[in-house]
Amino acid sequence: MDDLPSPLWTYLTSDNRLTGTWRSALPRHRDVPSPCRGACPVDGHIAEWIGQIRDGDMHKAWLTLVANNPFPAVIGRVCHHPCQSVCNRSELDETVSIRSLERHVGDHAIAQGWRLPAPGPATGRKVAIVGGGPAGLSAAWQLMRRGHAVTLFEASDAPGGLLRSGIPSYRLDKAVLDAEIARITQYGLDLRCGERISGRAGLEKLRKDFDAVYLATGASRPRHLPGLAPDSALARDGLAMDGAEFLRQTNAGETPPLGRHVVVIGGGSAAMDVARSARRLGHDVTILALEAEETLPAQRDEVIEAREEGISLVTGARVRAIEPAVTPRVAGLTLVCEKVRFIPGARRGEFTVEALADSAFDIDADAIVTAIGQDADPGIWDGLITADGALASTGDSWQTDLPGVFAGGDLASMDRFVSAAIGMGKEAAEAIDTYLNKAADHEAVNAPEVRFDEINTAYHPPAPRQIQENRPVEERLDSFIEVQLPLAAEQALAEAERCFSCGTCIYCDNCYVYCPDMAVIRLERGYEIRTDYCKGCGLCVAECPTGAVRMMAEVQ
Amino acid sequence: MEKIVYNDQGLFHPGHVACGGCAEALSLRVILNTMGKNTIGVVSPSCTAVICGGYPMTSTSIPIFHTTLETAAAAAAGVRQALEARGEGDTQVLCLAGDGGTYDIGLQALSSAAERNEDILYVCFDNEGYMNTGGQKSSSTPTGARTGSTPTGKTTHKKNLVEILAAHRIPYIATASPSDLNDLRTKVERARDMRGMRVIIVLIPCLPGWGIADDSAVATARLAVETGLWPMVEIFDGRDWRLTHRRGTRSVAEYLKGQKRYNHLQTDDIEALGREVDEGWELLNARLGQGPAGGSGNPQHRAAANTG
Repeated sequence: MDDLPSPLWTYLTSDNRLTGTWRSALPRHRDVPSPCRGACPVDGHIAEWIGQIRDGDMHKAWLTLVANNPFPAVIGRVCHHPCQSVCNRSELDETVSIRSLERHVGDHAIAQGWRLPAPGPATGRKVAIVGGGPAGLSAAWQLMRRGHAVTLFEASDAPGGLLRSGIPSYRLDKAVLDAEIARITQYGLDLRCGERISGRAGLEKLRKDFDAVYLATGASRPRHLPGLAPDSALARDGLAMDGAEFLRQTNAGETPPLGRHVVVIGGGSAAMDVARSARRLGHDVTILALEAEETLPAQRDEVIEAREEGISLVTGARVRAIEPAVTPRVAGLTLVCEKVRFIPGARRGEFTVEALADSAFDIDADAIVTAIGQDADPGIWDGLITADGALASTGDSWQTDLPGVFAGGDLASMDRFVSAAIGMGKEAAEAIDTYLNKAADHEAVNAPEVRFDEINTAYHPPAPRQIQENRPVEERLDSFIEVQLPLAAEQALAEAERCFSCGTCIYCDNCYVYCPDMAVIRLERGYEIRTDYCKGCGLCVAECPTGAVRMMAEVQ
Repeated sequence: MEKIVYNDQGLFHPGHVACGGCAEALSLRVILNTMGKNTIGVVSPSCTAVICGGYPMTSTSIPIFHTTLETAAAAAAGVRQALEARGEGDTQVLCLAGDGGTYDIGLQALSSAAERNEDILYVCFDNEGYMNTGGQKSSSTPTGARTGSTPTGKTTHKKNLVEILAAHRIPYIATASPSDLNDLRTKVERARDMRGMRVIIVLIPCLPGWGIADDSAVATARLAVETGLWPMVEIFDGRDWRLTHRRGTRSVAEYLKGQKRYNHLQTDDIEALGREVDEGWELLNARLGQGPAGGSGNPQHRAAANTG
């Protein structure tokens, strides 16, 4: 054995045989975008932070969340959660309650008093932001963490925009909003409340004083119906009111002096907010909406909860005329209504209606609140930036045609969701950063999203969705206390376990242990393929529980 | 998600010549590394012989004795006796054979070793045919399966080796699947820590022999378990039967449809196979109820001594 090998004994190990030459494709570990992330307006790394909850690292989960959205506790309450509609898990049993989990992390961070991570080195660049709503605040945080100095001008006396003046406390407790905004303002934001910037001169001065300007003034001009505008006779008599004004007053703790029976016109979230707020102030409430119930723009949960609270819904109908009530002792007004067919238009917010024959009916009311949407007013800059109707025109990256001036949120988009505004603020901040640095450093995600059939469900046994409970109806109507109750900690953990972690490596070792050729090596964090030995069988791909390994063509 | 855990000590090497995606190779990896370095392998002609060998190379860090197809268990018993004679009783003897070498050609040697309660661990990689020589049928090939020598489908039943072994009243018998490597590791550990004749039969879906895709051996084995076709059991002393995986509820048809060897089956054939599975479970359920403690006794300390 010492000199010449015995012919009976092998004397080499098979490591000398490089079976990698058998292979026609190579598996690659890569973080592939999950469908939830693709649908998320802030490009949230959802699979990643849910995995961090599962690992018991709430702080890391929160850091992952705030990297894209500084308002997890807010968004965890009010997001329209498009992520949940595309969740791959819905093909196995039910979608993961992503929004409930986000709130769980957000609430935990507030309770722990966590602060945002330190900003990058100061760049010496100054950015002005006009408008302290979700888009403006999101942009402020994203710019500050990149080292830019930010001054934010807010016309009202407190930042928050619609989060403060539009969304009622029973959906979003003001203490939660204050806590998440305070984190941003304490981060070094130069906040100027009560300073309204408008007109050509106002914008020109900002351009002179700052290196870039972000306009996020929102949509504060209410749409009106004939005869119901603030300057109408009905409004002057206290019989008609604008929905945004109604919500501004109720959110400030005031009680608008309206009669007993309130009819709310509109079918969106704002109409639901008005109706449910009025209900809490003791009114009988009827909602009158053009759309059929199943196509109401409000979130489905809001409609259900409004009904639970005793609000009547009249859908697929409109007001034709408003007359003094036939029996004035019951109510002051009679709304002459008719049923209609609602036909959505090509763009969001556009539509036509067809009246249905012989469908007239009346509704008696003491007051009418109109909540049919609001428009932005790009005209306040005196034509300095180009507008397309009620929207500021922006090209790629939210840049207006005025160099260095960017616009976003409701001023530049009809995507009227809080999360969309936060996402737009983030995108604009990245664009401003690129503009200021004269360099592109924002990587685009372009790998295809993980499909359900890429998830090995053998590793994901069916498990029922954890239900986030609502406060009982009888407890809701006395006050503006929050309706949604939080998930219990063990519920959150169980829900986090349900996440497939689509496209995100969870370091489970399946690729390592299932490789018949010892061709997957464990690294401290992650794995590497030994190309000398990998035969390209694809078992590591098939047995990956998250779809984070894919076969790829090899570059020759 | 339950993590698969075993300590890979590097006893199985890359560069072996198993087909890409072979479930036998990944099962062997778990078995070798669980047995540890103080083990001598005895291998009869089979896929395992090819995977471990290929002169002048070896893919294992333990010595392997290649023997003939008829004699795996007898040769292993001989190695055991030699070790005892040298005072190396601590060294384990691990016999590795295919279903041809176990159900058919090596059955006499296996039965004799079992009857003598030889102190060896015998692992049968059951890929339900002579897959290494072109895919002929063995007595382990299931009813209906097409092989090179049963081109219209096998007309006889798969031999019930578990019942045969149980009749020998040996200390330990188990079935296992590459779809549950923690279970395989646990069974190898249990067998390793016992003495006397121990047999583990691992189902190995054969990529070319069964006509399945390169990446689907584990999924196919999983289906075999989840459809109830491959019951996962442990039997102590031939009497105390336990299930290590409840009977799966997925349809047998789901298992069959992924494999080319069953492509020709008609609805009647599939139903007949389903009945065969049901009958197998009736027998198994009867066994599960007849153990000394109703099938729930403590598996520890059941080892029968063999001093050789």
